[in-house]
Amino acid sequence: MACCNGNSVRILAIIPAFNEERSLPAVVAGLRRAAPALDLCVVDDGSTDRTAEVARGLGVTLLRNPVNLGIGGAVQAGYLWARDHGHDVAVQVDGDGQHDASFLPALVEPIAAGRAGLVVGSRFAGVPTAEGFRSTRLRRAGIRYLSWLLRLRCGARVTDPTSGFRAAGRAAILLFAGSYPPDYPEPESIAVAARGGVVVAEVPVMMTERLHGASSINAWRTFYYLVKVSLALLLLPTRRAARQAGGAASTAPAAGATARPGGGA
Amino acid sequence: MIGHGLIPIELQVVSVAVLALFLLWVLQLVRTQRLSLRDSLVWVVSTALAAVLALFPGLLVWLSRALGFQVPSNALFGAAVLYLAVNVLVNTVTGSQSAARLRRVTQECALLRAEMEALKAKRGDGPPP
Repeated sequence: MACCNGNSVRILAIIPAFNEERSLPAVVAGLRRAAPALDLCVVDDGSTDRTAEVARGLGVTLLRNPVNLGIGGAVQAGYLWARDHGHDVAVQVDGDGQHDASFLPALVEPIAAGRAGLVVGSRFAGVPTAEGFRSTRLRRAGIRYLSWLLRLRCGARVTDPTSGFRAAGRAAILLFAGSYPPDYPEPESIAVAARGGVVVAEVPVMMTERLHGASSINAWRTFYYLVKVSLALLLLPTRRAARQAGGAASTAPAAGATARPGGGA
Repeated sequence: MIGHGLIPIELQVVSVAVLALFLLWVLQLVRTQRLSLRDSLVWVVSTALAAVLALFPGLLVWLSRALGFQVPSNALFGAAVLYLAVNVLVNTVTGSQSAARLRRVTQECALLRAEMEALKAKRGDGPPP
């Protein structure tokens, strides 16, 4: 496969950013250290601070949403860019500095090797350690529940479905460009990929608490999050709707697709 | 008007007058292009139906008996609530569709802006990348 010759893999880092002028330089520097050949794409989702100017100064591709779309719409803009510019792998990295760029090669490796089409960076996979940021006890219980529901609904085994640190191969890029959940998209998008025939894998990563500002998900919204995502997973699109979304995505060249059938049913 | 004494003539006159005013309002919205003709049809038809029932209340009595309602007005309220609920649901669907379209247009706009800036930078006539 064209995407799997090691060095020739074209990788795009998608960095959704809403008012992240303070975190952005460190995030971009970390990614450049981890993978110098990486293409970088900051999606400024209607920020009211100097996020756009900061991104321009860093010399990255800047996608500027004229209005705020929320995390799902912002990330999808990045997947559209990856689709249009022929990237083999797109890696999502939060603009707030929670994700450690040194794990990027580990995220990309299973895709480059053709073993997976979507790789989720998990705080809970592998050997349990006390290191890194692993969220509160209550939230971990919610995460375990979502993990169970996801496995039940589409067969994907992911221990950290809320993780926004992930890598998508060409087939998943095309799927996500066509159809991506607009809000709280992380668990649902795994289902979109699995239902689309993409093999989902996970690798252990460590996360840190955000550098600046507050998380967009406060305790008050956790309940809404669980209800919304549960409903979304119970009401996964019919095969016809999924095919239509896939049809929209397939207008772009599908070279180097890493998806294999049988990812789940 | 054929009330057969089922409802007072005054009430009938007021009902028809209100419906006529409502219909005029809808038509005015279409004429000033604040409401599309397509979207106005459901309002025109439902207003016309209500007017038929106001003019011939015997129809409502017959219909509600046939369906087993004890009081005809209950049939009317039930039908009205159901009709409004359907209307609101249709509006919500329209809102969802509009949001999805707006999302895609916004993304397309961001992509085009980035492509344009890249082109400008390549030609050397834009601000530094």
